[in-house]
Order: sequence, then structure tokens, then C-alpha cells
Amino acid sequence: MVTFVVRRLAFMMLILVSVSFLTFLIVNVLPGDVANTILGDFATPDQVEALRQRLGLNQPVLYRYVEWAAGMVHGDFGISLKTNQPIGPTLWGRLKNSLILASLGLAVAIPIGIGLGVVAAVYKGSFLDRAITTTVVIIFALPEYVIGLALILIFSIRWNLLPASSLVLPGQSVFSNPLTLVLPIAVVALGMLAYFCQVTRASMIATLNSGYVRTAVLKGLHKRSVVVKHALRNAMIPTLAEIGLSFGYSLGGLVVIETVFSYPGIGQFLVQAIQNRDIPALQAAVIVVAAAYSIGNLIADVGSLALNPKLRV
Amino acid sequence: MSGQQPQTTAKPAVSPWERLSQVAILLFPALLFFLIAFGPLVTPYSPTNFDPPNALRAPGEAYLLGTDEFGRDVFSRIVAGAQPTLLPALISTFIGILLGTITGLAAAYYRGRRDEIIMRVMDVLLSFPALILSMLIIVTLGANMVTLVLAIGFVFWPRSARLIRSAAIELAQHEFIDAARARGESAFHIMFREILPNMWGIIIVDFTLRFASAVLLVASLSYLGIGVSPPTPAWGLLVKEGQPLLQMAPWVVIFPCVVIAIVSVGSVMFGEVIRRRLTLPDRRILS
Repeated sequence: MVTFVVRRLAFMMLILVSVSFLTFLIVNVLPGDVANTILGDFATPDQVEALRQRLGLNQPVLYRYVEWAAGMVHGDFGISLKTNQPIGPTLWGRLKNSLILASLGLAVAIPIGIGLGVVAAVYKGSFLDRAITTTVVIIFALPEYVIGLALILIFSIRWNLLPASSLVLPGQSVFSNPLTLVLPIAVVALGMLAYFCQVTRASMIATLNSGYVRTAVLKGLHKRSVVVKHALRNAMIPTLAEIGLSFGYSLGGLVVIETVFSYPGIGQFLVQAIQNRDIPALQAAVIVVAAAYSIGNLIADVGSLALNPKLRV
Repeated sequence: MSGQQPQTTAKPAVSPWERLSQVAILLFPALLFFLIAFGPLVTPYSPTNFDPPNALRAPGEAYLLGTDEFGRDVFSRIVAGAQPTLLPALISTFIGILLGTITGLAAAYYRGRRDEIIMRVMDVLLSFPALILSMLIIVTLGANMVTLVLAIGFVFWPRSARLIRSAAIELAQHEFIDAARARGESAFHIMFREILPNMWGIIIVDFTLRFASAVLLVASLSYLGIGVSPPTPAWGLLVKEGQPLLQMAPWVVIFPCVVIAIVSVGSVMFGEVIRRRLTLPDRRILS
């Protein structure tokens, strides 16, 4: 177990180094000079040269990478080209907001998703099961902003119950008006619960077909106790792994949701960095998202190992 | 949908209703192809010309789905927008699967160290969420249709490679592969003439489901304003531009959303129907 975690951690570090190097390469080595990209088509060669100097673009790539990566390890994410402020503090604040959104979405999605999955599995083939599975496929196929805008139309415009935007003043906590959190959380949770429901249903059906569940039924135990005590516990193992994975995934998917609701999270930060051609901010945000994604995967792997004694050998 | 279809039992009897819906779903790609090929030619109004006197008309007889703030017909814009939305999705899916198939086959055929290296590179690519990696590539290469296609193709590459590799490894254990090796066939021959022909079913299903997520990606990227720029009527862009009008003229947003929903749900359903026809095991959508 310990060796596994250590090996997995080492692998994650390797992935992160590769990811940071790849991000750096994509931005720095591909055709299209960063300085040109930042300044646009109408820049004079002098302006481009001045910016290249400022960004240190005239130094060798490897040197720049090491410098940049070393800075990041010390928490120095560079200076934003837009605001001329250090990127780090803003980025952490945004990441915190995104984590709040993702965790609250997760907290809503886990019980509902697993519950629906169990119901669909127990009543497999029934009308209820078909209704649940079809809804899940539809939620999956929809872009997040379509769901978000539909909710805004219903709850903000039609019934005027909830705010359509989660915009907060800089420096203010996202909890300053908790009502603004409801719709974005709903969109995050819908996507996640569709996924959990699907995973739970599949693994629950497999478990219900297994020998020990049949034994429990033949022993004359109540259906409810068989489902809850015997089957659910084993069916949860793959589901929990998926939850870890989806946490990282949702950090990526948040980009769209945060844009819909103007929620001050890391996804919106990323989109703004792109719009402002703020390359250092963009690089930093991508690395942080990729790191969160890898950590999610790691937790998922270690978690499913801890839960499943069979894998521990 | 989840992997629940028992593979061993005979096909259950299909109700007429189900048969009908299956036929409708199978006709679905024909409609998409028509829209991609002829969409811009069959619009009742110009999708891009301004017509201020007719701005913000509600849906009605003259304008089936209403007009936007510049008097452009929403229906015409949606029809013309099929091409800039679906064509990049189609081509990038093709590129991604092509790269994935070649890499996956090579990894499965050679195994050993070469397989290890290829798959570790794929792992690194997989540690970016799809949307973010494509954003990064598009922004760096310059936002246009070509980079949009390349970026999505690139994002699909490792995902497809993993799938093809695991299917090919299984196939490579069969005796006809040993026989081919014994005959002294070349690596190229074994990969593309012996293994590949047995994988078309998997590749086709991968293609349809991958296309569905490509439509989602293009729609999301264009909603974020990345990869396409106005006045291109790409569907995501229609939603983005219409969002401030949500209260005043909801039709400008609702109809493009509905069309995106129909096409993406339709593509997933199409993939599912094909998968069941070919009785292949289930695949996760999220990856």
C-alpha cells in the first residue's frame, strides 16, 4: 500500500513536470511569437523587441523554463501582463472559489446520483429505470451553458427567484450572497450526478447478479437489507474512484459554468487571461488546473485501493 | 448509457415505436450532412447582413424563429451556422481517430518499451482536461478554423489511442496473428491488414461518440469566443452573443441552444444505436 502510494506520487510528480514543460513548450516554441500574439498585428518591430526583452524571450528556452518552474515551486507565478500585479494571490483566490463551487456541487451530487443509480439498478428495465437513464444521457450530451441558461430562464427570468449572475465585488467572499451560488452549484451538480448515477447503476447491477447477493436473498433476507448492506457496499468501490476522477474533471468543466454565471473562479480567470492575451497568467492557470486534475486522479486511485482489499496485495 | 446489455442473450423483440425511433436516429447523420453541405445556400435570409428596421422581431410568420438585435433572422443564422459548427467537429474527430488508431496499433503491436513510451506520452496529454488543452493550443497557434480543428484532433488523439490499443492487444493474441508472423508478414501488414480490419466496429462506434463530444467541444469553445469570431454564425457564438438579450428577446438564445441540444443528444443516441447494432461493450462517455 505504502509503496503503491509512493510510486503513484512519484508518477504524479513526473506527470506534473511533463505537463508544465509541455505547457511551456506549447506557448513558447510553437510558431507565432508570444510577443506578437500579445501585441497583435499592428505592433511595430520596436515594440515587439521591447516586450521580448521584458519577457526575457531572448534567452534560451530551457533556461527560461527552469527559471519559470523554479519560481512556481516557490509560489511565484510571475507578473500579470494585464494588471502588472503578481499572479499568485489572485490565482489562489480564484482557485479557492472554484473549489468551493466544485465541493458544494459534489456534496449535492453524491447522495442524489448514487441514490438514483441504486434505484435504477434495483428496478432495472422498468419505466423508472428508463426515465433515469435517458435523462442521464441527455444531461451528458448537453453543453453546460445550455443547462445553465435554461435554469436562468426558468428561475431568474420567469419566476425571478434566483440571481442570474454570481458576480461579486473584488475582495468580497462568494458567500456574501449565498443565493447567487444556487444556480451554478445546480449546473455543476447536475453534470456530476448524471455521471455518478451511471457508474453506480452499472456496478450495482453487476453486484446484484453476483453469487453472494443471491445467497443473501435465498437466506430470506429483506430486499432492502440485501441492497443496502450487501450490494451497495461493494458497488461503491468503482463509484468512489469515479468521484475522485470527476472532481478533477469538473475543475476543467467549470470554465464554461463560471463564464455563464460570471462566477469569479479559476475557469473565468483562464478565459479572461486568454481574452487579455495575458500569457503568464494563462500558463499559471493551466498548470494549476492540470495539477488539480492530477491530484483528483491520485486521490481516486489511492481511495479505491484503500477500499478494495483485493487490490492491496 | 451504462454497460448493462447482456451480450450473450438473443436480441429482444423490438417494438414498432422503438424501430421507428431507431430509423429516425439512423437518418440523423443524413440531415447533418445536408446542413453542412448546403446549409449556407438554403437560408431564407442572409445570415450576416444587418437589417435594423426588423431588429428583435419575435418568432412569427415572417421570421420563423425571430430576429436578433441587428435584424438578422435567427433561423437563417442557425442553418448557416451548422457548417462552422459541425464541419470542424467532423474533421477533428477524423484526425483524432486517425492519429489514435495508428498510435494505438503501433503500441499494441510492438508492446515492450516502445509501448511504454507511447502510452506515457499519452498519459501526459490526458492530464489536461480536454477543453483546457484545446483552448491552450488554439490561443497559442492563433484562433482560426484550422487551429480549432487541429486542437480538437490533438485532444482526441490520446483518448482514442488508449481505446484502440486495448482492443488491438486483445486481437493480437489470436492465432491468425501468430500465423501471419510465422508467414513472415511485415509489421505494417500485420497492423493494417490483419488487426485493423477486425476493429472497424470499435472504430466506427468510437467515431460516432467522439463526434458527439467534438460537437460539445466546438460549441463550448465558440461560446467562450475561442476559435471562431463574429460574424460567423457558429452555434456557440450565437448563444454567447444573445446572452445579454436573454430577458428581452429570449428566442435569440433559446433556439440555438435547442439546436445544439438536439444535435448533441442525437449524436450520442446515434452512437448508442450503432453500438448496440454491433453489440459492442459499453464505453464511458466522460474521458
